[in-house]
Amino acid sequence: MDVRIEPIGKEDEEIVLIRCRAVTEAVQEIVSFVRSRQGKLSGVADAKQYEIAVSDVFYIESVDGKTFLYTGEKVYETAYRIYELEELLRSRHFLRISKPMLVNLMKIESIRPALNGRFTAVLRSGEQVIISRSYVKALKAALKGG
Amino acid sequence: MELKRFLVRNLILFFMLSTLITAAVALTGSAFDGDARFSYREMLTPIKYAALCMLPTFVAYSKRELSLQALLLRKALMLLLIEAVMLFIAFTSTAIDTQRIEVVLTIAGSVLVIFVLANLFLWLKDSAEAKKMNRDLAKFQQIHT
Repeated sequence: MDVRIEPIGKEDEEIVLIRCRAVTEAVQEIVSFVRSRQGKLSGVADAKQYEIAVSDVFYIESVDGKTFLYTGEKVYETAYRIYELEELLRSRHFLRISKPMLVNLMKIESIRPALNGRFTAVLRSGEQVIISRSYVKALKAALKGG
Repeated sequence: MELKRFLVRNLILFFMLSTLITAAVALTGSAFDGDARFSYREMLTPIKYAALCMLPTFVAYSKRELSLQALLLRKALMLLLIEAVMLFIAFTSTAIDTQRIEVVLTIAGSVLVIFVLANLFLWLKDSAEAKKMNRDLAKFQQIHT
């Protein structure tokens, strides 16, 4: 696939146009990537495709090789891998808090101590997720703006 | 948990145990044998006991993140091992009258109390850390809203 970038004037609308013979998986991946850059993620729930606003996602979890997005009400499966989302959503206040999980820092209500130096993040949805010891240092740095 | 973090946490635990064991020996010693006199060498006893109590803590070490149940199980096993170590010391020592059941029960009870207190202090340390993180979280969310 050839890639062309066409400079436009300030008054013109910026668009990403994909000219393809068929909407393949690779094309879908490009679409998902562009949407994620715009603050949207593609996810599947009840066999339907949804566009979910990143700001609505509380946390993201990888279970048995599948990645799930958790909003307050629904769980969506996404094609992204957790490490891809970690990179993609770093600037959108998502941080890894354990090996299989990313959390939206803006959705944390409070942090509580758990056993053995671990911590629990209480989310605004009422759910609780464990912050592993290994990720506590990174969390502290992120909260301090690092 | 990383080995380095585990060792740092255990060093804190070691100093806590030394203090708590000193207090426990002073209290139980005063109750059972208040007029006893010791040499300066005995000042090292709480440190030696604390060092011996540190050995069973390695059963709680795991490279991977333990589940809550696995962690509680390992903590219980750790307590049993510490009890066994301390009672072994008591029964092999000529200075401790293990013929008296109240002495044995006091040693076992003291170990339990020290174990609970040490874990409580570690939890309070984590609680202070959590409070600081909550303050930073509130500031972070205020800035980025």
